[in-house]
Amino acid sequence: MTSLIEPTQLNNSLGDDGILFVRNDSILDTMVKVPLLVASIIIAAALLPIQSSFSSPRDIDLTIYPDGSTHVLSEIDVDPFLTDYELNLFGNTIDNLVVIGDNEFLLDVDIIDDTALIQTFGSSVITIEYDIHDLVSKQGRLWTFSLDSPSDFTLLLPKNSAIVGMTNLPINMEIINDQNQLTLSSGPTEIDYLFSTNSISNLTEEIKNEEDNYLYIIIGGIISGIIVIVLVSVIIIVRNKQKNVKKIDQVVTIQKNNILDLETIFKLKSDLREDDKELVKFIFNNNGEALESELRKKFLQPRTTMWRAVKRLEREGVVEIQKKDLQNLVKLRKNMEEET
Amino acid sequence: MKKLAIFTILVLICGTTSPSLVNHAYGQNDPSILLRIAVQADKQIISELDQVYGNQIPNNIQILYDNGKKAVQSLDESLSNDDVEQAKQDFLLAMNSFMQISRTISHSSEQISQMTVSEKSNKQLSNELDRLVKYSKTLEKLSKKYNVSVESDFIKINQLVEKLQSQIDESNVNSDDIINQIKSILKSIKSDIHEAAVNQRSDRIKQLLNQLLDEINENLKLAETNGVDKIQIDIGNELIFEVKDMLSKNQIDDAKAAYYELKELMKNIGYPVIFR
Repeated sequence: MTSLIEPTQLNNSLGDDGILFVRNDSILDTMVKVPLLVASIIIAAALLPIQSSFSSPRDIDLTIYPDGSTHVLSEIDVDPFLTDYELNLFGNTIDNLVVIGDNEFLLDVDIIDDTALIQTFGSSVITIEYDIHDLVSKQGRLWTFSLDSPSDFTLLLPKNSAIVGMTNLPINMEIINDQNQLTLSSGPTEIDYLFSTNSISNLTEEIKNEEDNYLYIIIGGIISGIIVIVLVSVIIIVRNKQKNVKKIDQVVTIQKNNILDLETIFKLKSDLREDDKELVKFIFNNNGEALESELRKKFLQPRTTMWRAVKRLEREGVVEIQKKDLQNLVKLRKNMEEET
Repeated sequence: MKKLAIFTILVLICGTTSPSLVNHAYGQNDPSILLRIAVQADKQIISELDQVYGNQIPNNIQILYDNGKKAVQSLDESLSNDDVEQAKQDFLLAMNSFMQISRTISHSSEQISQMTVSEKSNKQLSNELDRLVKYSKTLEKLSKKYNVSVESDFIKINQLVEKLQSQIDESNVNSDDIINQIKSILKSIKSDIHEAAVNQRSDRIKQLLNQLLDEINENLKLAETNGVDKIQIDIGNELIFEVKDMLSKNQIDDAKAAYYELKELMKNIGYPVIFR
């Protein structure tokens, strides 16, 4: 609470009446900072999902099993006003086909050779997944993946496979569960790979190391950023505290210069009630002022009881009541001796 | 104001660090990837040549390899010079050379590198099992959506999968029967799900078609007002009536056929059913 209080004229002497004017200049800061803080948090929180959704390239995901069979998972936008959708599959050796529409609605599908006729009724997006045995061929130890894809796609190669030839430029490559995942562009693609016991692990480790390094850099950057933030915050807080301590010191000094000590007050006001004396003690020890609500909390008194006690002290000339943020600020009177 | 400025700077710092995480996950066109793939392919090819030919590499293959190796070195240099276009060409040249070498080697070593029957069977079984497990999980998800009580079937499948897995691990390959059992249960589950989905699907189709028919009806009125041939309008109205009648009798396929006819008519008179 004390940090909010700042004398208006620190360098000037107080008036004859000894009233210490205070103003709360933190209201403006609070009003500006809170919305700014909320907006910043929202922006920061929104940054990640927005970017990831903007840059997500996934339309077709292929996973090659070690035996050369391939799992196809594809999401397709369809016209919801069409009742059926004809989809060219990547071959005709199809297993485990499932087509799901909006809201995970299971759709009917008829397969004729390498074409699937899907009853889409009302779905705007359909998800189709199946296993196919036509995409990978094998000669000797060499496996060859071939596809003419209608759009960009990802290809997850089997574990321990090493690429030894390809006809297209990859858009990206990642390691997922020790497996290479390539992102490739649409059009005809051929990739040759071999199963190797040592080399793929080297590549995996190499990439992992690079990724780890990259991760360390990012983590290091984040940690440094956090440290900088913490340091800046600490500096700001310490500075504020120093400022406040100074201000408080000044306030206390000013007040102490004007407020009588407890013994004198009680001597001057010898007919004060014991419970009122306790209130005065608390206010005195609280730098000569306290909010009425603080007094209520401290002495566990109902609002009306405390209000009467404060009014009583005001009538006795011991305290004065000021308004602060729509609350009653109870302050010990200065120059009480002169009045009496 | 000073505090606000500092706070804004902090927000900007956070804002610039968080996207870097995302860019990593979806980073595209990172040319260093090309070098990594090419270098690895180079190493693999050296290993293959060593295994197959030892020190007696045929001349044609040696030429191909030299071309590939040069392309990899050039790729490295191109990347150092930030010449991405040249790097792409180098990459394709290198990978094409290595591809030709590996295909030549695979032709010549086909006999040597045959897998044993049991190795082949284990691998295929394991892969088939993986595929079936994946399919089973998809069906399990759907069965929950349609409240189809097939939990016991999935428990049975899990037991069979475990049994088969242990047989594969022990190289005790006599598992066609188990695979067939799993397939049979999955087929039955899918059939149950389809049955449960029929009613919902029928309702959904009716709802959609009725909605479309209402829109088409409005369009027909508009077309009539705008002076479109009365005969076409009448045909359209008749088709709407027919589709509704078929839907009420649950003749979904006939209703679909009539709807397509109506859709074509609307397109011909210049009031197509369009996605909104």
